[in-house]
Amino acid sequence: MTRSKKNFVDIFFLSISAIASLSVLLLIIGILYVLISESSPAIEKFGVWRFISSTDWNPVKGSFGAATTLFGTAITTVLSILIAVPVAIGIAIFVTEIAPSFLKGPIGAAIELLAAIPSIIYGMWGLFTLAPIMSNYIEPALQKSFGRLPFVGMLFEGTPMGIDLLTASVILSIMIIPFTASISRDAFNLTPTVTKESAYALGATKWEVVKNVVIPYSKLGVFGGIVLSLGRALGETMAVAFVLGNNHQITASLFDAAATITVTLANEFTEADSDIYLSSLFYLALILFVMSFVVLAIAKFFILKTEKGIK
Amino acid sequence: MNTAQVRKLKNGIALTVCTLAAFLGLFWLFFIIWDVFFNGIGGLNLALFMNDPVPPGLEGGGLRNAFVGHLMITFFATLIGVPIGILGGTFLAEYARGRKIARLISVLSDIMVSVPSIVIGTFIYAVIVKPVGHFSGWAGAVALAIIMIPVVLRTTEDMLSLVPWTLREAAFALGAPYYKVIIHVIYRAAAAGILTGILLSIARVVGETAPLLFTSFNNSFFSANMNEPVSSLTVSIFQYAMGPYDSWHSQAWASSLMITVFILVLAVLGRLLLAWRYGKRPTI
Amino acid sequence: MNKILSVFTVLAVSLLSFGNSFADDTKLNGAGASFPYPVYSAWAYDYSKISGVKLNYQSIGSGGGIRQIINRTVDFGASDAPLKPDELEKDNLLQFPAVIGGVVIVVNIPGIKAGELRLDSNVLSKVYLGEISYWDDGKIKQLNPGKALLHKKITVVHRSDGSGTTAIFTDYLSAVSSDWKEKVGAGTSVKWTVGIGGKGNEGVANYVKRVGHSIGYVEFAYAKENNLSYTLLKNSSGNFVEPGFESFEDAARSANFDPKKDFYLWLNNAPGKNAWPIAGATFILLAKEKKESNINVVKFYDWAFKKGDQTAKRLIYIPLPLSLKNKIRGYWKTNRVY
Repeated sequence: MTRSKKNFVDIFFLSISAIASLSVLLLIIGILYVLISESSPAIEKFGVWRFISSTDWNPVKGSFGAATTLFGTAITTVLSILIAVPVAIGIAIFVTEIAPSFLKGPIGAAIELLAAIPSIIYGMWGLFTLAPIMSNYIEPALQKSFGRLPFVGMLFEGTPMGIDLLTASVILSIMIIPFTASISRDAFNLTPTVTKESAYALGATKWEVVKNVVIPYSKLGVFGGIVLSLGRALGETMAVAFVLGNNHQITASLFDAAATITVTLANEFTEADSDIYLSSLFYLALILFVMSFVVLAIAKFFILKTEKGIK
Repeated sequence: MNTAQVRKLKNGIALTVCTLAAFLGLFWLFFIIWDVFFNGIGGLNLALFMNDPVPPGLEGGGLRNAFVGHLMITFFATLIGVPIGILGGTFLAEYARGRKIARLISVLSDIMVSVPSIVIGTFIYAVIVKPVGHFSGWAGAVALAIIMIPVVLRTTEDMLSLVPWTLREAAFALGAPYYKVIIHVIYRAAAAGILTGILLSIARVVGETAPLLFTSFNNSFFSANMNEPVSSLTVSIFQYAMGPYDSWHSQAWASSLMITVFILVLAVLGRLLLAWRYGKRPTI
Repeated sequence: MNKILSVFTVLAVSLLSFGNSFADDTKLNGAGASFPYPVYSAWAYDYSKISGVKLNYQSIGSGGGIRQIINRTVDFGASDAPLKPDELEKDNLLQFPAVIGGVVIVVNIPGIKAGELRLDSNVLSKVYLGEISYWDDGKIKQLNPGKALLHKKITVVHRSDGSGTTAIFTDYLSAVSSDWKEKVGAGTSVKWTVGIGGKGNEGVANYVKRVGHSIGYVEFAYAKENNLSYTLLKNSSGNFVEPGFESFEDAARSANFDPKKDFYLWLNNAPGKNAWPIAGATFILLAKEKKESNINVVKFYDWAFKKGDQTAKRLIYIPLPLSLKNKIRGYWKTNRVY
């Protein structure tokens, strides 16, 4: 082997590895470009604001709007975050502060395994197991207790079928608990032991330490974790496809069927029979991509900030 | 009640609530796994693995085509995605260490890990399925590979960064070129970590359905030809679970059980490997 | 590292060669209507046994069938909604009917068995418009004297995907209710005002099965397969008819398919005394320029016309009358695919 040959191989190796890592960048740009070009007929026809604000999803007339699917996406995502965050933070506190040390690892790992279960399994389990439980027990109970209240009652109107916004949100929340919990745990773990011990030395209880030392210290990281989970929930398809009922409507009741961007894509993509229909679906995919990208970037920003703050 | 007692009480209540939350999370995990196991175990029989589907109404159909198809799609996705991921991670950890571009790509990969997989499906439909003119196993494999790349890339980058710098210096001192150092020294030192990344990325895509719906599509016959629509377990589960026949439901549950067990084994293996080698947890 | 690599290479090579060894089988890919899926898959299963030709038919909805054949991503598309001759011309397609079936109304009301509940077009359209929302509504009670109908909310189930079954159903509702025509209209997918959507006939059947007090519309075979309670329906002659072989055949008998119009025809609201009012043919779409695969697809359907009638009847589909089959063969000859 001569020196030049070695050099050549080295440069070759450098180039392919550089190309491989740039492929991530190229993919993002490529996806954006392809989605924009595929949805351009719909963008031209419906514009941006009009598409987003229109509740029309009418394949017969060939007029499409994203408002109903954006609504479904927003409601399921927000509701699932509302359910998941308190539970996830409780888990994180348990694993970092309460659990005996021999349990910390196994319980943490077990909860993370929830994240490994694929979304199609959640979907099936949701349809066959959770939906009947929701429609027979949980939803009627909610109706009986909260359904009578003014305003709040609107949320629980209609027939408890178990195929609705609420069931979809519950499944989503179970899916995102592990993300929020593990990021919150990592953030809690970054709290310097010295600070915690000083608080204990002053006679603080465990809960006071968590509330006044650990949580303020790791606020940003936990917030990042919540936003990351939000980004995950936005893009979840199969788990909700089974139990949402795929109906393009805006409704006040959580017991009504709705549609999200992801479910609409999964159900209608191979079936769209006109060019404008398919183009509108690509438009939805584009909106979803941009939305989740922005949300995830914000999450990443907060998470990086906490890590930096520690260093 | 004096303040001390009140504080103690508050402490007790709060800690109990947190403990309950943890057990709620565990409860869901075991509930789902138990449910899949309970419903799936009845449908597990030899016919499921040995026979191809039969039309609704006839007995004795299986999902051999979907098992083989899924294996093929995942295998080729790994073949495409893993080398790109490893090389990309190598570039970030070695050649571009500490540079702005490395930070940028690293952050972008983290974002790509969580990008909705169905969007990848629509992208592949536009760039592969439409130009080629038909659905194919290859399209599905490429879609899954795209999902794998950032996972492998990030774990590789993390693992290579853990290899002590002195090891490289020792190799350089012997006059070895950088590429040789990477292949013979660094990869060897980080092998367990890289392998974990591969395992976790496979676990990540084995359960994917959305990107396969309009790429590899589905096939009611056994087909080992990647240029044709290829059946996959997850798409079959979707079709069967939504279907009306009880025999379909039990096959869907049985397949779900197989996939869940496979993924949990991979995930646990990956974790054990990391814990054993580095005493840490995966970051993705 | 090297060992792992070599194992991988061996695996890859063997998988690829394995794949190519199967590649000389004739394969045909079709996609579309879920309405004829049971009969097509049963035919394909039998046909693969005698000819070795594997015809992979995927039920993705008629809208999808039309889309995929226009994009040429499949060898043939299947749609319950026929395309007009000018539409076929535009996309360079051929079209012929393959089998006839009926769309039936299914309900899930505890205590009500198949063939017990009576409905008419007026009630049906109002239920699907959301104007009748309880089972004990006066209009439903009027048709069903003496039936115990409780004050339960009706859960309306419709299709979430583009579907020929929906096209037949909404075409029927548009024909019988001007209100429906105005507010919703007919098509493979329409803007529903109420209800939940299931994917495919399978999905609708599944939801009706799982959700109490629901109503849905499915192809008859799906109702039979799932032991769903189908209803009687008042036809244009004013009789309450039960869905089944005879009433579908009665509807098919009045049909006059014309090869010159590429067989474009709807069968809804047929005039026969015992005709089932919601029936339709399901169509096959071919891309004119795909000569080679067209010949193979046509061979398959020719075989099905000759040998598949029994299978079709077993699954409650109406085989095409012989005269129509011969018209179709003539059409194939004219277009040089037969």
